[in-house]
Amino acid sequence: MILTPNILARLVAIVIAGVILQLSFFSQISLFHVSPDVLPALVVVLGLLGGSLTGAVCGFSIGFLLDCLLIAPLGGGSLVLLTTGYLAGLFRERFEIHSALVPPLLCMGLTFFAELGFGAVELMLGVDAPISALVIRDMLLKSIFAFFLGWAVYIGVRRALRPALVEESMLRRGRRPTVLGT
Amino acid sequence: MYRKQVRRRRAVLALLIVGSFALLTVTYGQGSDGMQRGVSTIFSPLQDVADRALKPARDLVNWFDETFDAKGDNERLHSELEVAREQAVGAKAALAENAQMRKLLDLDRSGAIPSGYTPVTGSVIGRSPTVWYADVTIDVGSGDGVEVDDPVVNGDGLIGTVSAVTGGSARVTLIADHSSAVSAKIVPSGIQGVMKPVVGDPDDLILDFLDSEKRVGKGQSVVTSGWRAQEIGSDYPPNLPIGEVAEASLLQQEAQGQVHIRPYADLRDLDLVQVLTGGSRG
Repeated sequence: MILTPNILARLVAIVIAGVILQLSFFSQISLFHVSPDVLPALVVVLGLLGGSLTGAVCGFSIGFLLDCLLIAPLGGGSLVLLTTGYLAGLFRERFEIHSALVPPLLCMGLTFFAELGFGAVELMLGVDAPISALVIRDMLLKSIFAFFLGWAVYIGVRRALRPALVEESMLRRGRRPTVLGT
Repeated sequence: MYRKQVRRRRAVLALLIVGSFALLTVTYGQGSDGMQRGVSTIFSPLQDVADRALKPARDLVNWFDETFDAKGDNERLHSELEVAREQAVGAKAALAENAQMRKLLDLDRSGAIPSGYTPVTGSVIGRSPTVWYADVTIDVGSGDGVEVDDPVVNGDGLIGTVSAVTGGSARVTLIADHSSAVSAKIVPSGIQGVMKPVVGDPDDLILDFLDSEKRVGKGQSVVTSGWRAQEIGSDYPPNLPIGEVAEASLLQQEAQGQVHIRPYADLRDLDLVQVLTGGSRG
C-alpha cells in the first residue's frame, strides 16, 4: 500500500466510521439473538489490503478507540485486534489470493480467532462467574456473520483505498495481478 | 533494504504489543482516566448522531429477527404480562415489607422505585460487541447528576449499575456481566442470596448462597434486598424487581444453595433506561 496523507486520512476515517457503526448499529441489532461484530472483519480487510504493519496499526487503533468509547480498561481490545490485523497482513504477504472467497473466509476464521482472543484476555484478567456454553454459539454465529460482512467490507474498503493499492495500479497499466487478483 | 523493512515491521509490532500490555496493566481496575474521558467527550456527539440516524435501520433488522422468532403476535401478550408482573411484584414486595416492618417503621413503600431517588432517563448509545463484556454506554453522565454505583433500571426491572462516568456519557455494567453481584431476596418468603450471572447467557442468572434449609419454588419473584450494616451497604435500594425463579431443583438447592433466575429485563435489547440518582443506598 502506498501511504500518502490522503490515504492516511481515508484510513483514519474508515477506522472511526467502523467503530461508530459497530457501537451504534451492529452491537444494537440482534440476529438469532447474537449481535454481529464487524470490527475483526474490518481489521482483517485492512491487513489484507495494506499488509501486516498496516493491519497491526489499524487493529491497535480500532481496539484503542473501542475501549475508549466503551470506557473500558484499555489494551485488551488493542492486543487482540492488532494480532488479528497482523495475521491477516502476514497471510497476504505469504500467499497469493486466487479466489474471491478467500477474504470472507479469512474474515470468518480470524473473527473466530478474535472472539477467542477477547475471551482469553478476559479469562486472563479473571472471570468470577460460571461460563455458559452459549458463548461458543455466540462466537460461531459472529464468525458466520463475519463471512458475509467481510465480503461487503472488503469491497467497500478496497474501493476507498484503491489509489493506494499497488495491484490496482498494475491493473490500470494492463498487467496481470499477482496478489488480490479477484 | 528488505531486511531493514522486516526489522522496522517487527519493531513496530513489538512496540504495539508492549503498548497494549502496558495500557492493560495501567488501566485495568482503575476506572476511566483523562484520556478516555477526552476521547469519549469528542466522539459522544458523533455517536449520538449515528445512534439517532441508524435507529430506523436497527429497528428494521430487529423487526426481522423478532418476526423470525414469531414474536410479533406474542408481543401484545408479553407487554400485558409485564404490566401484570410489575403490579404483582410491587404488591408482593409491599406485602412482605409491611408484614415485617409495619410495627417498626411507619413506612409505606408500595412503589418499585423507593422515594428519595431522582430518576434520570437516558438512551443506550453503545454496546460492547463481545459476549465477555456485558456493558452498555448511555447518553447521560455526570453533567446530569449521574454518579458511579448509581443503580440503573428500565421498565421491566433492574438492569445494572453505573461503573464509569464522563461529562455526557456513562458506562452501565449489566447484571449479566461476570463482575456483577447483586444481593437479592425472594418475595414474599424473604430468603436472601447473592445473584450472579452465567457468562454468555443473559437470560440465566444464579441466585447463590441461599439457605439450603428453606425451599424456593419456580415462578417466585426476586427483588433487590438492599441491605445495610453500619457504614457499608448494598449499591441497590431494596425491592427493585430483578426476575423470577426459572429453575429450582431440590438437588441444586440442597447441594449448592442455588436456583436459576430469569431476569424480567431483556438485557440484549435495551433502549431507554433510568439511572436512579441520589437517594440512600441499602
